[in-house]
Amino acid sequence: MSALRAETFPEAEVRQRARLGEGAVFPERSGYGHALYGADPGHVATDELDAARVVPPVFMPERLEQLVEVAREPLHTDVDLTTAIGGFRSALPYYLSAFGSTQVASVDLGVAASRQAGALGIPMVVGENVVPVDGYGRLTDAGGRGLLDRIRAYTQPVPDELGGVVVQQSTEDADAEVWNLVYSDPSALPLLDSGRLAFELKVGQGAKPGLGGMTVVGRETASRLAGQFAIQRIYGEDDENVLRCASPGTFTDEILRQQIHLMRNNYPRARVWVKLPPGRDIGRAARVAWKAGADAVTVDGAEGGTGWAPLAFLSGVGLPLAECLRRIGEPEGCLLVSGRIWEGLRAVKCLAAGATATGLGRAALIAVDEDPEQGLARLVAALALETRMLISAVGKYRPGALSHDDIWLPGGWAGSEVSVPVEGAHR
Amino acid sequence: MPTEAGTKLPATPREHLSSPVTRATLKVQHEILAAAREHLANVGCTEVLLPVIGPVTDPGARGAKQVDVDYYGHRYKLMTSAILYKQATLTMFDRIYTIAPNVRLEPLETANTSRHLAEFHQIDVELAGASREEAMSVAEGTVRHVVRRVTERAPAELEILGRDTGAFADLLTGAGFERRTHAAAVADLRDIGYEQDPGVEIEWTGEALLSDKASNAFFLTDYPKGSRGFYDKENRENPGYLRNFDLLAPEGYGELASGGEREHDYATIIARMRETGENPAKYGWYLAMARDGIPASAGFGLGLERLTRYVAGLDSAWQATAYPKVPGVVAP
Repeated sequence: MSALRAETFPEAEVRQRARLGEGAVFPERSGYGHALYGADPGHVATDELDAARVVPPVFMPERLEQLVEVAREPLHTDVDLTTAIGGFRSALPYYLSAFGSTQVASVDLGVAASRQAGALGIPMVVGENVVPVDGYGRLTDAGGRGLLDRIRAYTQPVPDELGGVVVQQSTEDADAEVWNLVYSDPSALPLLDSGRLAFELKVGQGAKPGLGGMTVVGRETASRLAGQFAIQRIYGEDDENVLRCASPGTFTDEILRQQIHLMRNNYPRARVWVKLPPGRDIGRAARVAWKAGADAVTVDGAEGGTGWAPLAFLSGVGLPLAECLRRIGEPEGCLLVSGRIWEGLRAVKCLAAGATATGLGRAALIAVDEDPEQGLARLVAALALETRMLISAVGKYRPGALSHDDIWLPGGWAGSEVSVPVEGAHR
Repeated sequence: MPTEAGTKLPATPREHLSSPVTRATLKVQHEILAAAREHLANVGCTEVLLPVIGPVTDPGARGAKQVDVDYYGHRYKLMTSAILYKQATLTMFDRIYTIAPNVRLEPLETANTSRHLAEFHQIDVELAGASREEAMSVAEGTVRHVVRRVTERAPAELEILGRDTGAFADLLTGAGFERRTHAAAVADLRDIGYEQDPGVEIEWTGEALLSDKASNAFFLTDYPKGSRGFYDKENRENPGYLRNFDLLAPEGYGELASGGEREHDYATIIARMRETGENPAKYGWYLAMARDGIPASAGFGLGLERLTRYVAGLDSAWQATAYPKVPGVVAP
């Protein structure tokens, strides 16, 4: 366990799951048979999704179908969690989110998380900036944490035909040509040949919608990066650290549409993912992306993000995830969401609200920090058990069968964006 | 007609250089260059030698990585094409050409296309104030003149190479090269059961199929936006499509040249850069020129090794170079 801290996140609970796995899904074992349990009246919902409830019906026609199928009363163990995620086949309806370039992810945690995600057979997104900051690891030694090291750590244990690697690129690191680099590198061939490489266009992020990447770097690093980024000496002229700022890039619907077309044209063997910030026009942006041919649209709720951001942005900028889901309405393609997801309840609420899968960001980082060998695997085992129990509780047996009926949102579902026609045709 | 498997790569540089095929091919290439220079001078073009390295290069190469050069601590690029410099040079001469060396670290899947090289040359032409049709006419004239001159001046070499010069009959008769739109080519391919996505570049196998059926070189025009670099001009009358073209050789040899009218309006260039995912900040010198005004133009880049492959009737483009660099293959 390192000095990694996540004070705004249920860190202790995640660490406990990283140690105990499925056992942590239930109350403390020592109380079994003595203590009385019930809902915690002191629980204060942190956001609308937290306040929502999974609501099983009394009558379950789909459970009857499953009963006929298996010729016995179905159980939660009958839930099949295999999910198609953005052109990949995943063992579970989860994926590993990008961590960004802060020091938190630059140490060995990134490689440890990659290894465990590979073994789990879930897709992994590698953040933008890994190449500009940590290098690629081809000609120069990236200290074992470059992009290639992450890909190698993932591909070694990944089961055949499961999972996939998603390499992010944003406007600011177009200079580093991350996608061209990966697409032309021999190490990416096995992924390309098995259809398990995707490129994710990063349009924005949850932690600071409307802003680009921001990191505190040493003055020396800053002078190396000065050509690419704006450098601000926010700690004073003589301080050894400076703020490095990048632009998120300018987008219009035509710019987004054409960038997706170009990705499909230039990388015909790679899948195309698009990551959107929780903007107020999220519904329209997602539809533009799907119509232009994106295999997946990732939405990072304003509560998401591992990165460092101005306090004002952390506390009051961007739509919460629940509102993003409401504005998107019925997704026209594969929708992936992330933002404070670490246990099954929030994950299943997202799936019922339209998501195909949910991303693990901070939770994954904390879990591998707790145990670099098995932390993420145990966290995910607990998550999977809860997901199975919750899905079977509403009388369904695969994540894709969940629907709006399965959750009760205190604010209701009304209010999705007025449907503005989006140009272009689905491919 | 090129064979599908291509020819086996030489084991050593000596084996390649001492091969009669290489020798005859490079003699043909010598005549191609001489004829191209002759024709381009005749149509009023001045030869200008353009940079090999620069702070930015053409980002329009499909999936290929650029090569970084440490230029006194600044990250420079080896040219993937001369397009930016060609446009800028039109502030000096109205009609120019250059024989440009280009380097593109192409995706490894291109190693088996028989026509991709990581290092190659282009006969690169740019004409101020010209329309796409004028650029196509110059491209057509250049190819016809080149083929005529080679048949006149290098018959012995063509004989050694076993080139059926009868295959040039349609090209040499002077019948204009057919012009077909990208959309029509997609429809043709779909008619013969080839699943071509209408929103993207014609795939390499698709191009070979179209080329295979042709007895004369032909143009494909009006590619969809999103398939080319920011500098290919969008058709104002037909938004979403570009005022550009590819020139394809017959007999299955495929693409020889790409060209089109260029965007020269500063604000349009910036918007198109964003649409192609580029960060305008790195194009400082080019944008400064565009802001002060660069001429409207049209032009094209004619692949020298591809043209040589077609004229000499070779299986693979690498045979048309003394020191071949096939994508992913380590060679001197």
